[in-house]
Amino acid sequence: MGKVAIITDSNSGITQKQGKELGIFVLPMPFMINEETFFEDIDLTQEEFYEKLETGANVVTSQPSPESVLNLWKEVLGEYDEIVHIPMSSGLSGSCQSAMMLAEDFEGKVQVVNNQRISVTQRQSALDALSLAGKGMGAAQIKDFLEKDKFNSSIYIMLDTLYYLKKGGRITPAAAAIGTLLKLKPVLQIQGEKLDAFAKARTAGQGKTTMINAIRSDMENRFGGAASDNIWLQVAYTKDREAALAFKEELLSEFPGFPIQVDPLSLSVACHIGPGALAVACCKKI
Amino acid sequence: MANTIDAKLLSKMFLAGAKNLEAKKEWINDLNVFPVPDGDTGTNMTLTIMSAAKEVASMENPDMLSLCKAISSGSLRGARGNSGVILSQLFRGFTKVIREKDALNVEILADAFEKAVETAYKAVMKPKEGTILTVAKGGSVRARELAEEGCEDLSYFIDEVIKYADEVLERTPEMLPVLKQAGVVDSGGQGLMQVLKGAYDAYLGKEVDLSIPVVTHVKAMQSGADAKTEADIKFGYCTEFIIMLTRNFNIKQEIDFKAYLESIGDSIVVVADDDVVKVHVHTNDPGLAIQKALKYGALSNMKIDNMRLEHQEKLFKEQEAAAEEQKKEKTPHKETGFIAVSAGDGINEIFRGLGVDHIIEGGQTMNPSTEDMLNAIDEVNADTVFILPNNKNIILAANQAKAMTEGKKIIVIPTKTIPQGITAIINYVPDLASGDNEVAMNGEIGNVRTGQVTYAVRDTVIEDKEIKQGDYMGIGDSGILSVEKDVTDAAFRMVQEMMDDSLELISIYYGAEVTEEAAGILKDRIEEAFPSCDVELQYGGQPIYYYIISAE
Repeated sequence: MGKVAIITDSNSGITQKQGKELGIFVLPMPFMINEETFFEDIDLTQEEFYEKLETGANVVTSQPSPESVLNLWKEVLGEYDEIVHIPMSSGLSGSCQSAMMLAEDFEGKVQVVNNQRISVTQRQSALDALSLAGKGMGAAQIKDFLEKDKFNSSIYIMLDTLYYLKKGGRITPAAAAIGTLLKLKPVLQIQGEKLDAFAKARTAGQGKTTMINAIRSDMENRFGGAASDNIWLQVAYTKDREAALAFKEELLSEFPGFPIQVDPLSLSVACHIGPGALAVACCKKI
Repeated sequence: MANTIDAKLLSKMFLAGAKNLEAKKEWINDLNVFPVPDGDTGTNMTLTIMSAAKEVASMENPDMLSLCKAISSGSLRGARGNSGVILSQLFRGFTKVIREKDALNVEILADAFEKAVETAYKAVMKPKEGTILTVAKGGSVRARELAEEGCEDLSYFIDEVIKYADEVLERTPEMLPVLKQAGVVDSGGQGLMQVLKGAYDAYLGKEVDLSIPVVTHVKAMQSGADAKTEADIKFGYCTEFIIMLTRNFNIKQEIDFKAYLESIGDSIVVVADDDVVKVHVHTNDPGLAIQKALKYGALSNMKIDNMRLEHQEKLFKEQEAAAEEQKKEKTPHKETGFIAVSAGDGINEIFRGLGVDHIIEGGQTMNPSTEDMLNAIDEVNADTVFILPNNKNIILAANQAKAMTEGKKIIVIPTKTIPQGITAIINYVPDLASGDNEVAMNGEIGNVRTGQVTYAVRDTVIEDKEIKQGDYMGIGDSGILSVEKDVTDAAFRMVQEMMDDSLELISIYYGAEVTEEAAGILKDRIEEAFPSCDVELQYGGQPIYYYIISAE
């Protein structure tokens, strides 16, 4: 049994610095802003990103170049025997597809996990992979395990505005379902590969209540009960960390004793939903 | 005089009761506590009982069982407004006891009164004393006493029951402080007394006109102001002009002139200035008004409209629009559907945009009946149907429709205002079970505060606020929040009273009689006063209410 490396991309919300501390390799996601390429957390900070987004810059995400993926793998394989590669959800990006294709030339040494996670749940997958590797599992086993576990997570995101969703044109069905005369805060859900409209709210207060009810229902009906020994609970946000911390407190009073991770939402999601979004996610513990 | 009541006599008594209520309708309407133009108790109770009276009148020599069925089902279907629903439940309970009998005596009537009261109390979630319920209970208690005393004289029995119920009615202001302050007895209780008194007159053999006009079905589609039928238009020409005075027009002439106009028409307005008099009258002979006016000077700005023709046109257009509407709404079957009671094209549009399948036009001045609800439920092709009554006087009718529906699951969300209805449907989550949605929606409507601005229809004092006819009032969820001479001031003061730190969003829906510009000024004022709140302005187009404003 060889040494197994865990790779994920910057969509997981794991920063380069955290990655080094944890022992997880983080592939930075590229962004094209006004046709100039930047890399998340390398030469593009969250602040810079939002400033550009809000001033109307043309922000486009793209998947990591094959070259950057291959270079990272080759470098890592100099030190490790196997790689578990956890890209962002195949439902939201072609990154996973490309990585699987590239991995074909590595004779099973690189296992690409297609478990449809994003942001805080993708982060949890990387941490799970690390702990499975620590227990002595091989890369193929870990991939298998994570893919079987893929539906045991749930994310709800409340948007401050429909503007970016409409502008991106990317999630039209969801946006269309919410079209009305009134100003509304849509609540979206990510289940597996789908990013879909879930509910709507008039105020942030209502939206938060809707998300709390939904996540509780998932815990109880899908993940075997709302207990902290069973569930990871996470909060994610775009731009407004203070609001996220306040939401964390609200969640703590609903789910006392749960450790709650708070992370910024990955920028590739943020560029479609805009600033001021709040998300709650949960994963069943492995 | 008969000492028992058979089906024939009961039928006569019922019709007489209905007629008497109808005759006293306006008087009962005036007992309304709030001086707002709203769902009047007299009108609602009359429409309710008339729905049954029509069925009763169409039966020749009915037997007791079919008579009871007509009374019970007719009034249940026609029930409108809270007092109408309670009245229909009183009839339902009453007829349950007597339907198997051939003739009624004191003993049976005492049982029937008791059953009536018991049934009506059950229909109301939180029965309130000092209302029609208390009056009915008083009557039934006295009836039981008399029966136990061995009373056999029916005439004496009915007379005593009515006397005692009247005493209870007189005491209702002591039980409900709002009645006391407004200086009135409970209007629903008074309505019930009129039914009983009319019935008693028929029993005594007094001459009563029992003909029930075959009224064409009054659809809730018509909003309050338009609900007049053609027959209601007594004077056909709306006549307006200005007299440019060439002769003296002092207070004496003004009174004489008004008196003359009153002799030929109604809806009279005569406003005199130093050299002009503005005149408005509805009359069947505009020429007379003009001739009289010419004695005081030359006329200008003359305008005469035939209101009967206009009314027909309006009705025709409404029918067309309604037919169009319903055609569109033949939708494929779905799991869950929504019905909302709404008034105003803007608000209708908002509800449709939020996924409401069927809109019942109605609300404050025109409470839809249980039958209107049942028709709407029929129209919505869904297994589960949510109903948003959006008015506290319509919730009972919705619940009654729910109880009468088979084959569909009906969930009534007890929304008391339009904004509560909007919030309820926004918080509906398609992926959740209907029961979970019901709980969540019920929870959220409690977090919405609503204020509505309208005008006072008469002078009164409520909650120690003196109100003059024509004043603008802001009415919140639990009472009057502001009284002002200016409509924008009334709305603004009302919002100030509604607000606290926890609220994030103020939504303003401006009514048919408000311009967008005026509403914009109000919005700016509110925004300035509450900078931490989002303020949203929407066209509501609703009648009666200049503004409906919510804070959540």
